[in-house]
Amino acid sequence: MEAGNPPVGLGPAGRRLVTRRTVVRRLIGVALAAAVVPAAALVGRAFRHPQDDLKDAVGGDFEETYRGRHIRGARGQGSMMRAHIGQRSGRWDVTVDGRPLHLMRRADGSYLSMVDHYQSYPTPLAAARGAVDELGDQMLRRHAL
Amino acid sequence: MYTRQNQSSLTAAQKKRFVSALLAVKRKGQYDEFVRMHVAFYVGDGDGGQRVAHMAPTFLPWHRQFLLEFEGALQRVDPGVSVPYWDWTVDRSPTSSLWGEGFLGGNGRRSDRRVMTGPFAYGSGHWPIKEGVTEGEFLTRDFGRPHDPIELPTKDELAWAMRDSLYDSAPWNSTSSHGFRNKLEGWTSGVGNSKFRNHNQVHRWVGGHMLGAGSVNDPVFWFNHAFVDLLWSRWHRKYPDSAPYLPAGGTAAGRVVTLDEPMPPWKVKPSSMIEHGHLYRYA
Repeated sequence: MEAGNPPVGLGPAGRRLVTRRTVVRRLIGVALAAAVVPAAALVGRAFRHPQDDLKDAVGGDFEETYRGRHIRGARGQGSMMRAHIGQRSGRWDVTVDGRPLHLMRRADGSYLSMVDHYQSYPTPLAAARGAVDELGDQMLRRHAL
Repeated sequence: MYTRQNQSSLTAAQKKRFVSALLAVKRKGQYDEFVRMHVAFYVGDGDGGQRVAHMAPTFLPWHRQFLLEFEGALQRVDPGVSVPYWDWTVDRSPTSSLWGEGFLGGNGRRSDRRVMTGPFAYGSGHWPIKEGVTEGEFLTRDFGRPHDPIELPTKDELAWAMRDSLYDSAPWNSTSSHGFRNKLEGWTSGVGNSKFRNHNQVHRWVGGHMLGAGSVNDPVFWFNHAFVDLLWSRWHRKYPDSAPYLPAGGTAAGRVVTLDEPMPPWKVKPSSMIEHGHLYRYA
């Protein structure tokens, strides 16, 4: 890695010309967007990610053996939901050798697993394979954390 | 008022006291409560619900309060200890004294990543993992990910975050391209090793438990976060004219906590977390 280079996609390093006015404009924009969403629409249904329509069209349920581990994934409606915080498992139910692998969704549409919180993957299957890579010989717990 | 020291400056006696207090907190069952709390509050910004601990502006105040809670538990055992910080731009070696036999112990072995030395090795009998992602009861580390090597963040990479005089920016999550918070937390749209920065990159470098939901199981978690906390203080001093926390007001439909809103689970406001000089200082 070359020292001092900014990460891809984050623009040049150095002082930024973000003015207070720009920030205020952004704040107002977000506030207006939030204001026009009826409160009822936010209650009683799963959060729907803007990229879900695209993902739904291309990504199906999966089942495979990867590095000797049995991976399964099915679009879920939150059967693995961690209800105490309203977290919805990225709306996928994924298992490795029958044990639940909790997935999280990132705002860019990618997926993280509870085994690896820092590397995100474009699909639930890729996230499950990444988790297997990190698991080595270990078994997931019978019940997810 | 007490002082948090650089871990490299601790005497052998100070290390011993710190480790003893830590093991006592573990014995009492309190340590695993901190592990569970961190698991519960790790929420993805693409899932529903409010996020406070990660991928959110409150990444810094949330972990500041989390550190204070943990430090309180340590100090109820021994009022003379505090959480040391690890400057990973300086102490970058797997053989640093940080990983010594009398402190945090060393790397995991290659076969199963099990930590074999120091007070937190499974064989010591003091540190069984109760709240892990896997069934394994032993602490694991995988320094530098040997199968696909990665370094700790450099001074230049940290400087890239410190150069941003804006605290945070919309959309206030892991995709915010402007702002100190996301650059220090370390989410980028980069590929390969450049996708990890600063705080996140440290979790990745240590590996094993530090990589996943149960990262608090590795005591180095606190050393990393004490340094991150110190960096927030330094940033605040460097940019006295910048808002020390954003967003200041109503935004993001309740999914992030603004300056004067109560932050779960402690109900403290970010505005009350900005100054810490009355509680502790960094040496």
